[in-house]
Amino acid sequence: MKKLLAAAPALLLVILSLWEVAAAHHDDRSVPDDGAWHRAATALRERAQPGDLIVFAPPWVDPVGRLHLGDLIPVEMAARMDAAKYGSIWELSIRGAHAPEVAGLTAATEASFSGVTLRHYERTPVKVVSDVLDHVAELHADRADRAAASLELAEVGFLPHRCIQIVPPANGAVTLTVPLTLGSKLVGYMGLADVFKRRDIRTPGTLEIHVGAASAVVTAGVDDGWARFELATTPGPQSVTFVAKAVSPDRSICFAAEARE
Amino acid sequence: MNPRHVGWLLALVTTITVVMLQRDVGIARDETVYMSAGQRYAEWWVGLGKLQHGLGGPLITSVFGGPMGGGGNPEHPPLAKLAAGLSHRWFHDDLPIFGELTAYRLPSAILHGVLAWLVFTFVLEVWGLAEAVTAALCLLLLPRALFHAGLTCFDAPIMTLWFATIVAYWRALGIDSKKLPWQLGIAWGLALATKHTALLLPFAIGIHYIVLAIRNRDALFRWRLVATMAVLGPLVLFVAWPWLWLDPIGHVKQWLQFHATHVHYNFEYLGHNWNAPRFPWHVALVTTLFTVPTATLGAAAIGAGVWIARWRRGTNADRERAPVLLLGLSAAAAIGPFFLGTTPIFGAEKHWMAVLPTICIAAGVGTIWAARRLAVTFERVPARVAIGVVAGTIVLAGFCETVVSHPYALTWYSALAGGSPGGADLGMNRQFWGVSARGVLPEIATQPLGPVYSHDASPAWGWYERLGELPKGYPDAGNEAAGIAASSYALVIHEKHFNRHDYLIWKSYGTVQPLFVLRSGGVPIVSLYKRPPK
Repeated sequence: MKKLLAAAPALLLVILSLWEVAAAHHDDRSVPDDGAWHRAATALRERAQPGDLIVFAPPWVDPVGRLHLGDLIPVEMAARMDAAKYGSIWELSIRGAHAPEVAGLTAATEASFSGVTLRHYERTPVKVVSDVLDHVAELHADRADRAAASLELAEVGFLPHRCIQIVPPANGAVTLTVPLTLGSKLVGYMGLADVFKRRDIRTPGTLEIHVGAASAVVTAGVDDGWARFELATTPGPQSVTFVAKAVSPDRSICFAAEARE
Repeated sequence: MNPRHVGWLLALVTTITVVMLQRDVGIARDETVYMSAGQRYAEWWVGLGKLQHGLGGPLITSVFGGPMGGGGNPEHPPLAKLAAGLSHRWFHDDLPIFGELTAYRLPSAILHGVLAWLVFTFVLEVWGLAEAVTAALCLLLLPRALFHAGLTCFDAPIMTLWFATIVAYWRALGIDSKKLPWQLGIAWGLALATKHTALLLPFAIGIHYIVLAIRNRDALFRWRLVATMAVLGPLVLFVAWPWLWLDPIGHVKQWLQFHATHVHYNFEYLGHNWNAPRFPWHVALVTTLFTVPTATLGAAAIGAGVWIARWRRGTNADRERAPVLLLGLSAAAAIGPFFLGTTPIFGAEKHWMAVLPTICIAAGVGTIWAARRLAVTFERVPARVAIGVVAGTIVLAGFCETVVSHPYALTWYSALAGGSPGGADLGMNRQFWGVSARGVLPEIATQPLGPVYSHDASPAWGWYERLGELPKGYPDAGNEAAGIAASSYALVIHEKHFNRHDYLIWKSYGTVQPLFVLRSGGVPIVSLYKRPPK
C-alpha cells in the first residue's frame, strides 16, 4: 500500500497524460462531418413540408445547419419573432443538444445520421390574426416619429429578429399607432438592437403598448435580450399604440408583435 | 551532451517550431498595424544611423506619434515593432531569406526560443537537468503561447522579457552586492519598451525584495538592484522610444491613460458576451485551466505541492534567493489584475501569458519529483526510465494538443474543456483578430471574380493579395452594411458579437445559406456567403 501511494503521483500523471492524448484526438473528431449532415438533410428534404420550421442545436452549429438546409429557411423564418406559429418543427442536433424552440415537446420521430439527430415535433400552432410588421406602411405618427422608425432585420440578444426599430431622442418618446385586426391577445417582444450600442450605451429602453384601455410597459436593459409581453385584447379592428422611450441618445429599440386568436 | 548545449538546442527547436507553424496562421487584424508601424520605425532608425535625417520633432511625431489608434501606434511601446521592422528589412528586403510575413514574425519566434532557453537555464541551475528539459518542453508545447509567438505582436515577446527580468533579478541576488546588476535594469527596460504590462513587474520583484530584506534585516541589503531598476529601466524605455524624447512625461501619461481607459472589446466567456465590467473574477482561472494542456497543469499542481511541502520543511532550493517565491510572485503579478473584475478581459490568456513560465517550471519540478519517487519506490525501475516515461507522456500530451490546435489555436481548448467543440459548448470565446479568414481564401479563389466583404479580416485583405494568398480580382468591398451592399461575397468570422454580421448579410443577400463554412475541430469559425443571382 505504501508503495502504491508513493507511486500514485507518477501513475496519476501518466494516466492523465494518456487520457489527454486520447481525448484530444477524440474531441477533434467528435463533431459530425458534412457526410452526416448531408444524410440528415436528405432525410429531412424527403419529409418536410414548405413552411416547416427548421432549427439547429447547439447554437454554435447553426452555420453548418444553414450550409446544408439554408435554402429551406427563408430570412423571415430565421429572423422570426418566436416559434409559436409553427406547428411542425424539425430539429437537427448534435452532441445531445436541444433547441429552445422544442422545449417541452416530445419528438414524433427521431433518426440518427452518424451523430446528427433529426427529430420531428408536431404541435398545435397559434393562429396569427395580424402581424404588426405587415403594417409598417400604415403606421400613424407625426413626421419626426415616423422618421425615427424603420423595419429592420436586427440583432437583439445576439439573435436575428425582424422588427420595427425606433431610435427615440434622449429623454424623449416616439409614438406609433398601427391599425390592426386583433384576436384575443397581442403577443410581442422588444429588445435593444446592436451589440456595440449596447456596449457603449448602458441605459435601458422602454416600450409602452396601449390597446384601448389595456396597456403594458416593457423595459429591457442591455443584457435582457428579446423580452416578451402579452396583452388581452378584444377581437376585431382596433388601433394599437407603441411608445418607445429612452434616456440616452441613439438607443435602438426593436419590437415585433402579433395579434393572436 | 553539455547541459548548456541542451538549452541552446531547445531554444533552437522552439524558434524553428514557431517559424514553421506560423506559416499556416493567418494575419491578425492588429498585426497589420504593428507590421506597418515597425517598417516605419526601422526606416527611421536606419535613416538616423546613416545620418539621412536628424532628430526633428515633426518626423518623430509622424513616425512614432500621432493620435492613439493611428498609424504611428503610440499606444504601444516600439521595441517589438521595431524588431519586426528591422527583421523585415534585413531578412526580406536586403537578404531575401524569409517571406515577408515570416520576416516580420521572426523576432517574436526568436524571443520565444530565448524564453525556452531562459526557463531551461534557470531551472537547470535551481533544480536540475531533467526538470529543466521537462519545463522547457512543456513551455514549447503550449498551443496558445505557440500561436501568439508566431504573430508580430507583443504578447509573446513580453512573456520572454518579463521572465528575462525575473531571471536577471534572481541572478543579481547572487552576484557580489557591490557590483551593479545592470542586466536587471536593461531587461526591465526592454520589457517596458515592449508592453505596458511590464509595469506590473515591480510588484513581484518589490515584494520578493521586501521578504528577503526582512530576512536579512537590512532594507538596503541590495540597494543597487532597486537603483538599477529605478534608473536603467525607464532610461532604456526612453532611449528606445523616440516619441518620448519630445515630451517624456506627457507622452508617458498619454500611453498609460490609453490603457487605463481602454475600450472593453466584446469577449465571450461561459456563454455570455462581456463588454463592460464587472467581469467574473474567475475568467483568468478558468481560461488558464482550459488553455494549458491538462497534463501540464496536473504536473504543475504536483510541482506546486512539492514546493509547498519543501517550504514547510525549509528544504526548498536556493533558500537565500527564494526562487520559488519569486516565481509565485511573478505569476501573481501577471495574472492577479484579471481577478479584479475591472481589468479588460478581451484577448484573455494572451494578456497574462507571463504566468506560463511559472506553470511550466512547476510542471517540470512536479513531473521529475513524481518520477523519482516512483523509481525510489520500485528499485527495479531505473530513474532514467521512470523520468522518461512520466515526462515523456506529459510532453506527448502537450504535443497532441498542439497538433490538434494548429492552425486555429484561438478556437482550441484543452481536453479538460472537451477540445474545440467542448469550448464551444461551454460558450468560451471562439477567436479574435480575424486570423482564421485565411482558411477561406482558397475557397474564394475558386469563385468568379467579385468584391468581398471581408469583415474582421479587412485590414489583412490587402496583405493577402500582395502575398499571393488571394488572387487579384477579389477586392475588399468596404465596411459594414455599405460594404456588404457592394459585395459579391461576404465573410463572417464567427464570434458571438459578430452574429449581427450574419444578419446584415442575410438582409442584403436575401438568403441565410452560406456557400462554405470553415471549421476547426468541427466548430464553425468562418462562413462565406455568395450573393445569389437576381
